[in-house]
Amino acid sequence: MIQLEILRLWRSRRPLLAEAAILFFLAMMLLGFYTYAQTKTGGGADFRYTFENRSYFNGLTFAIYAFYFGFLLILPIFVATEGGAQIAGDTSRRTLLLFLTRPVGRGRLFLGKLAVATGLGCLLVADLLITSLLIGLLVVGWGDLDLYPGVLQMTDRHQHLGQSQALLRFAYAWPAATVALFAPLSLSLLISSWARSAVNAVGVSVAVYLVLYVVSEIHFFQDLRPWLFTSHMAYWRELFREEVDWPSLFRDGAKLMGFSCLFLALAFHRFRTREER
Amino acid sequence: MVQPSAALLLEGLGRTFGTRRALWDVGLEMAPGEIVGLVGPNGAGKTTLIKLIAGFLRPDAGRVRVLGMCPRRRSRQVMERVRFAFAPPPLFEPLTAREHLVHLPRLGGTEVSRSEIDRALQVVGLDERADEPVRTFSTGMRQRLTLAQAILPMPELLVLDEPTEGLDPLAVLELRSLLVLLREEHNLTILLSSHLLVEIEELVDRMLVLSNGETLFLGTPGELTEHTARLRLKVDRAEAAQEAFGERGIASQMVGDELELALDGTDLEGARAILRARGLALTGFRTHRATLEEALLERLRQGKGRP
Repeated sequence: MIQLEILRLWRSRRPLLAEAAILFFLAMMLLGFYTYAQTKTGGGADFRYTFENRSYFNGLTFAIYAFYFGFLLILPIFVATEGGAQIAGDTSRRTLLLFLTRPVGRGRLFLGKLAVATGLGCLLVADLLITSLLIGLLVVGWGDLDLYPGVLQMTDRHQHLGQSQALLRFAYAWPAATVALFAPLSLSLLISSWARSAVNAVGVSVAVYLVLYVVSEIHFFQDLRPWLFTSHMAYWRELFREEVDWPSLFRDGAKLMGFSCLFLALAFHRFRTREER
Repeated sequence: MVQPSAALLLEGLGRTFGTRRALWDVGLEMAPGEIVGLVGPNGAGKTTLIKLIAGFLRPDAGRVRVLGMCPRRRSRQVMERVRFAFAPPPLFEPLTAREHLVHLPRLGGTEVSRSEIDRALQVVGLDERADEPVRTFSTGMRQRLTLAQAILPMPELLVLDEPTEGLDPLAVLELRSLLVLLREEHNLTILLSSHLLVEIEELVDRMLVLSNGETLFLGTPGELTEHTARLRLKVDRAEAAQEAFGERGIASQMVGDELELALDGTDLEGARAILRARGLALTGFRTHRATLEEALLERLRQGKGRP
C-alpha cells in the first residue's frame, strides 16, 4: 500500500513541484533580504559586508526568517494539496475504487495515505530547513544568532545563541515543526474525506487554514485564540530562546497533536462510513 | 434464508437517491460458473446495482449476499474472492500496465509472479505496451488492463461494468472468447453489464433487464424471444387487408412491403379466411421471429423504459 502510494506520489511530480516552489520562495526571500540590507546601509555596502561588520543579519537570521514564513505560509499549502490529493483526488479520479475493490480495509487504506502524506510533510519541513540554512550560510554568511523583538514576535527580548547552539536548535525545530504541520495536514484529510474533488478539498483546506491563521493573529480574538490550532503553529519559535521553556513547548506540541487527533478521528469516521456513489 | 451455494444473491433490492428511485425490488440468484448479463438503457440502475453488490452503497430495501457474505460488513473477505471492473476504467495514470498488475494484487497481500503478469498481459493483448504509462493508452487498452487486473489473482466472481465500452468489434469478440475461457478453466461466475445487448447476447446464460430501476425481464435470451413469432403476409391490396384485420380487432402494421399481424405465427388459416372474405389474394407469407434486440425493445416499450 505504502509502496504503491510512494510510487504514485513520485510519478505525480508533486514533490518536485514543492521543491521548485521552496527554492523560488527562498530566492525571493534572499532578494528581499539583500534589498532590505541595501536600504539599511543606504546602498553603500553589500550584505556580506554588513555581516562582517557584526550586523545581527547573517545566514542564521536569514534561515530562521525564511523558515518562519515558509513554514506558516508555504508548507501548509503543500500539505493541504497532499491531503486533498490523497482521498478527494482518488475519489474524483475514481482510482479509490481500485483500492476499495481489493481486500484492504478502509482503516489500512486511510493509515497508508496518512503515512505517505505525513512522510512528505516531514521531508518538506526538513527540506525547507536545510535549504534555508544552506542558502543562508553559504550565500549570506556565518555567525551567531541574534534575535530582537519585532513585528514577527520571534521573541520579546534580545536572544543570543552561539552558532553551534543555534544549529542544534534548528535540528530540534525539525520534529517540532513537523508536529505543528501535522495539524493542517489532518484538517486537509478531514476536508478531503468529505469533498468529491481534489481542487475543492485543497481550496477549502487552504482557505480554512488562512482564515484561522489570520484570526489567530488578530488580538481582537483573544478568547478564541487558544481554541484555534493556528495559534500554536509557530510554537517551535520557543526553541530559539537562550533558555527554552520545555514544559511550555511540550504543552503546545501536545495541543497541536490533540487537534490533529481530533481531525483525523473525524476524517477516519467519515471515510469508513461514507458511500462511494 | 442465506444460500451459501449461490455466488450472488439479491433479494428485493432497492435504493433511492433523494427523491429519485434508482432501484426497486430487484432480485437475482447466480449459481457458480454462471454468466449473467445486466442489461438496460443508460440510467437504468446497472451501476447502482453493481455498487450495491460491491458494498459501496447501502440498500434502502432488501439485501445482498456475495458468496454468502454481506459486502458492507465483510468487505475484506468479499474482496478476497470477488473482483470488480468499473467503467470508465479507473487507473493510475502515471503508472505502467505492469506496475498496476504488480502493485494492485499486493494490496491484498498477494505476490503475483512475473510469469503470471506476463500471461495476463498477453491474454488481454497488452504485452507489447506493458511498460508504457497508462496515460498513453486508448479506451480499449484501458478496458483490457482493467480486465487483466481483475483476474490477478483469479477471483470466484467477476463483476464487469460495461466491459465492451470503447472496444472495437474485434476486441469485443476477443473479450467474449476470454470470458468463456475463464469460465471453462476456472468455473468463474461472471456478472457483466452492458447497454448494448448484441455485444453480450451470445455470451450470457441469463439476462437481468433493468428499466428505470425495475426488473423488466430475468431469464435466458431464448425466453426473451419466446412468443415473439409474428405472421407476415404479402397481399395484393395491403390497405384493404389492414382494414379487414382491423375490423376483426387484429392489429397490423406494414413492415416494408409485408403486412405484419399481431397474431401467433401459426395462425395462418385464420388470416387467410379473413382475406378471402374480402376477396383479397394472399401472394406470400412467412413467420418472423423477433431478434433479441427487437424483443428487448418491445419489452422496454411495454414497460416504463425508453422506446
